[in-house]
Amino acid sequence: MKKICISVGLLLSLWRAGYGQTVDLPAYEKRRLSLQEVNLVSGYYQQDGNNSAVTGGIGSEQLTDFAQSIDLVLKATDRLNRQHTLTFDMNIDHYTSASSDKIDPLTVSSASRSDTHIYPSIAWTVQNSAKRTTRGIALSYSTEYDYKSYGINLSFAKASADNNRELSLKAGAFFDTWKVILPAELRPEGYGSGAHGDRDPIDYKPRNSYNASLSLSQVINKRLQVLLTVEPAFQQGLLSTPFHRIYFQDGAETVERLPGSRLKLPIGLRLHYFMGDKVIVRAFYRYYIDDWGMQAHTINLETPIKLTSFVSVSPFYRFSHQSAVRYFAAYGQHKSTDTYYTSDYDISDFTSQFIGTGIRLAPPGGLLGISHWQSVELRYGHYVRSTGMVANSLTLLTKLK
Amino acid sequence: MNVSPGIHQRVQRLMGNRFEISVVSSDANRANDCIDAAIAEISRIERLLTTYSDDSQTNQINAQAGIRPVQVDQEVFALIERSLRLSTLTQGAFDISYGSMDKRLWNFDTTLTALPDSKTARRLVRLINYRNILLDANQRTVFLKEKGMRIGFGGIGKGYAAEQAKRVLRERGVESGIVNAAGDLTTWGTQPNGQAWTIGIADPNGTTRQAFSYLEISDMAVATSGNYEKYALINGKRYAHTIDPKTGYPVSGLKSVTILAPNAELADALATPVMVMGTRVGLDLINQMRHIACIIIDDNDGLYTSTNIRIAAPAKA
Repeated sequence: MKKICISVGLLLSLWRAGYGQTVDLPAYEKRRLSLQEVNLVSGYYQQDGNNSAVTGGIGSEQLTDFAQSIDLVLKATDRLNRQHTLTFDMNIDHYTSASSDKIDPLTVSSASRSDTHIYPSIAWTVQNSAKRTTRGIALSYSTEYDYKSYGINLSFAKASADNNRELSLKAGAFFDTWKVILPAELRPEGYGSGAHGDRDPIDYKPRNSYNASLSLSQVINKRLQVLLTVEPAFQQGLLSTPFHRIYFQDGAETVERLPGSRLKLPIGLRLHYFMGDKVIVRAFYRYYIDDWGMQAHTINLETPIKLTSFVSVSPFYRFSHQSAVRYFAAYGQHKSTDTYYTSDYDISDFTSQFIGTGIRLAPPGGLLGISHWQSVELRYGHYVRSTGMVANSLTLLTKLK
Repeated sequence: MNVSPGIHQRVQRLMGNRFEISVVSSDANRANDCIDAAIAEISRIERLLTTYSDDSQTNQINAQAGIRPVQVDQEVFALIERSLRLSTLTQGAFDISYGSMDKRLWNFDTTLTALPDSKTARRLVRLINYRNILLDANQRTVFLKEKGMRIGFGGIGKGYAAEQAKRVLRERGVESGIVNAAGDLTTWGTQPNGQAWTIGIADPNGTTRQAFSYLEISDMAVATSGNYEKYALINGKRYAHTIDPKTGYPVSGLKSVTILAPNAELADALATPVMVMGTRVGLDLINQMRHIACIIIDDNDGLYTSTNIRIAAPAKA
């Protein structure tokens, strides 16, 4: 227990320092590094023409070794073998969005236009290296304009003696409250819009989610790693989105209605294969089933290939098929006698494919002889959904110094 | 004749430190020649960088502080350029103008019983500011803006020398070895039996400096900065010999910081700033960087590591 008290004491003394010494700001603060700083090692000698000679030690092969983790082996007599970590985080996001403004065309100052998202969390983990276990508990709170959420997470992990196998168990529960925002034309008399400044009352409905996760990772050999995950989840409460509109065969209009609970079971298998120093094969398969009648299969394959030390390509392909939930019907197809109805195409029957590649160039002297232009990566992806949706994405990432 | 390879070792005092060079070779004479060349390289760097001789490039720069820019070798220029990048990275916790400290105001030694007042502390580090080291890449000059400013390579030179010695050895065909510059070491290849090198990390509490843990590494460098060799107890709190270049106060809180990096220069240069920045900020920095790992032991014997380190229990004997 001693070390926990120290952690808390440290935290308190930090706060106290903040109040007590008003003149002295902390000399060093956490800050987010730039991409260039994150990659300092690989670019360390590149700017000064001192490359290959000194970099001898930092060729590609060493870097791939380093990317996997390093084992620190403690001696049996050691006292330094339990590690407590207490972290307290306060995150605030501010975002603006356009699409959710479509809920209500009449209210100009709709709350969704810009929104502040606050989510503090506190997490405590204890690592016991003698038993090779890690235990943790985390509490979180999150709020957005249309929901509030309280969460608790428990975790446990145990590694094998040779560290090649790790079993991890997680359980979490989230207790959410959602604002029931209805499309403008379907609001009963006196029902509010949910926007700031609208004093008319609005309904709130709960949604609780319970998740568990079991994962087993196994290093088969230096080249092959496998990870199996099973992540059952149960949701209860308001699971439909009340501002989704439904149109019946007879032309009547209402809002989406879905059952009050849903049980989901995804099972995934991930495989990483290091083929020499040049090629990594990352494969992933996931099977999904739930009690709303949906089943899905997803296969993903990505293969980063280092062609030379300056050029690498990473082709990828993803195939996914899902069946519709039994409550789905297209626009104007629902019967008014149905108990549940949705027209949300995200839970309809479809097959999607996503194929593409990235190519990255990083010559040591800079691109086109410009030493400030360190690297450029172009990613292209083509996405097709059997429902007719086609998307192309082209991303250009470039790094300047 | 086919002799199985063995480790050939030599210890020599260079740059004021104990250097130990180990080379794996099946030919003792050839190994000795290679070690000679590595020692010659370290001595060359020592002459270039030392602050104990007036004609070193470092002291030429220092002598002209506040007066005029000094032209230096490309090698020295590049080293200063890299140092400044590390200063920005570490919010000034790493600063080669550390030598500007005015020791007449408050000279830290192990017999001290009180800390300086905040005014003295600030005056102590008044001239330490890497932003006042001005580089001109076209002229290849270095100019220290303030009179009395001094630079020194105490925080990076050992690692740089180790890395250059390794380069010399590899150019001569040495496929495996270790250059150990007083605990800042760089490794490459494997042990003669083909296994990775094993590096121990000193227990900051033990009087015999026994290793409390060990790591298997190859093609990697390790550096440790600790307050266990030199520290003072003031009001029951341990203070390191290192002065925080921003506050002027001696650093406290951590017993030792070990950095693992692909090259010794970086490992050497990052160990002290992490010590200065402390566990929270230091680990946050290292965790964001790729290919760098860190092991911290604080004053309460808490062990903290960067996320890329897995703590393993001892193998059963």
